[in-house]
Amino acid sequence: MGDEVYSDLMRELKAGEYVFTGELEPEKAGDVNEPIEMARELVGMVVACNVTDNPQSFAYVNSMAASYLIQKETGMECVYQLRCSDRNRMALLSDVLGAGALGLKNILALAGDHVSLGDTPDAKPVFDLDSTTLIKLIRTMVDEGKDLGGNEIHNPPKLHVGGAAAPGAAHLKAEVGKVKRKINAGVEYLQTQVVYYTDVLDKFFDELGKVDVPILVGIFPARTFGQADFFDKYVAGVDVPPDYLEAMRATKAIKDKEKKKEEVDRVNIEFFTGFLEHLKGTPAAGCHMMAVGYPRIIPPLKKLME
Amino acid sequence: MIAQEQKPMEEILGYLEGKQKVVVMGCGGCATFYRTGDTKAVNEMAENLTKEGKDVFKMPLPFSIQACDIEKSGVWLEKNRKELENRDALLVMSCGDGVQVVTEYMDEKMGIAKSVIPANDAIGLVGGGPKKFKETCQSCGMCELGKTAGICPLTSCGKGLMNGPCGGVREGNKCEIDENKDCAWVKIYERMEKLDELDKFISIRDPHQWSKAKRPRLFEMEEPVKIDLAAGIGAMKGMMAVTFGPKPKLDE
Repeated sequence: MGDEVYSDLMRELKAGEYVFTGELEPEKAGDVNEPIEMARELVGMVVACNVTDNPQSFAYVNSMAASYLIQKETGMECVYQLRCSDRNRMALLSDVLGAGALGLKNILALAGDHVSLGDTPDAKPVFDLDSTTLIKLIRTMVDEGKDLGGNEIHNPPKLHVGGAAAPGAAHLKAEVGKVKRKINAGVEYLQTQVVYYTDVLDKFFDELGKVDVPILVGIFPARTFGQADFFDKYVAGVDVPPDYLEAMRATKAIKDKEKKKEEVDRVNIEFFTGFLEHLKGTPAAGCHMMAVGYPRIIPPLKKLME
Repeated sequence: MIAQEQKPMEEILGYLEGKQKVVVMGCGGCATFYRTGDTKAVNEMAENLTKEGKDVFKMPLPFSIQACDIEKSGVWLEKNRKELENRDALLVMSCGDGVQVVTEYMDEKMGIAKSVIPANDAIGLVGGGPKKFKETCQSCGMCELGKTAGICPLTSCGKGLMNGPCGGVREGNKCEIDENKDCAWVKIYERMEKLDELDKFISIRDPHQWSKAKRPRLFEMEEPVKIDLAAGIGAMKGMMAVTFGPKPKLDE
């Protein structure tokens, strides 16, 4: 790994500070107004925000364009999520160059969900590269100023690359093997898929052993029962605890909007108090709060970590 | 059929490094047709490996017994169980289907976990012959030939365009990426012209539904085919007649 630090996220990680990141989701719209509004609320709460790239293979506003606009309008540092599902190696390479030219400082390199899972299931899935080879490509571009063919890049992009890990994967040993492969490829930090169970996280850290790469643990305080239910039903490797799910379901019946908000917050704080307390004792370098559209929950959760 | 060619010996020997006792298995299907897994090829491979100091056991499959048809090839695996158990690796001279079907059968049905190594590179589903073959179908799961005058642009057009030709057609109606290949879309145009169907040419074809090719594809037959003795003899007779009999007179 190079010693240069290009982003605030990497600066905090390298300084050993406990890092909090957030998540923004561009929508199927001709603008990025909503994530920009959300980003404004998150400024000061988190050091950076992931900007999703066609999450669950639903085609939304281009993540690079959204990241650029959000960063420019709000000053929130963005983590540009980039998936291999929709682009071949040539498009990935030019997108990484574009991201550098637009002043983006972090990329989260992902394989991405299969296109058949989303709203454009007849699309041809690309996966010319995978998450590991994308990480390697980015590191080669940044560190050596070369592309995959060894061609020189004039004024190479200055950015960092992160990768994902799935502690709840069905086959943990294979998952950890893949994570180690990403580390060998030069990933600079890891962010886990959402975890709700502390024992799932512990098993992951145990299996992984000591690594030199900082790991952010993903948590998902749901704003609505629907969000939690979606994760439980459709996101591979994520089990939402039944008690939490039931408590969230019960909030659906509350008519008064303010009271409903209060109850949702209470359920989340109650559940995550134990989880975050446990997190303090793990090797995690921070917490990725995937609270899409739910910024008000972040300050009370951060407080639990103090 | 699945066209194939043998891998370079250097690559095969690389996979066999540290593996002294080897079974060489043939295939009586496509690999026999393309001479990459017939008895002769198995013998030659065994000879080459012996020269390299390997201890080889040969396991050719008879003509028409395909490695991928496990109900039949499994009989040969079972018959040679002892050899398979006592050897370090199995080199399969078939396409990747044969290699994997055999691997799975040995793992799951025979309880024998061995290195299974491919001897061949499968090139693709091809037709034609006897010397020249062409890939014209990619088994995409959603045949478009009814819209394209019987020529598949997904396979025969270098870009797989559903609405071509592209702007790169070369002199002589050749492909942008290979001057030895015809532009599929010019061929489609010419066929549609012959069929008086040029209205179809200018109609817009929807993007191909790649969801039908979602991998890995699984296929189940409600009633597996059963070849009885009479049908088997009939098939053999037909095959002999086509191969050795008088050629039909085309002007009749």
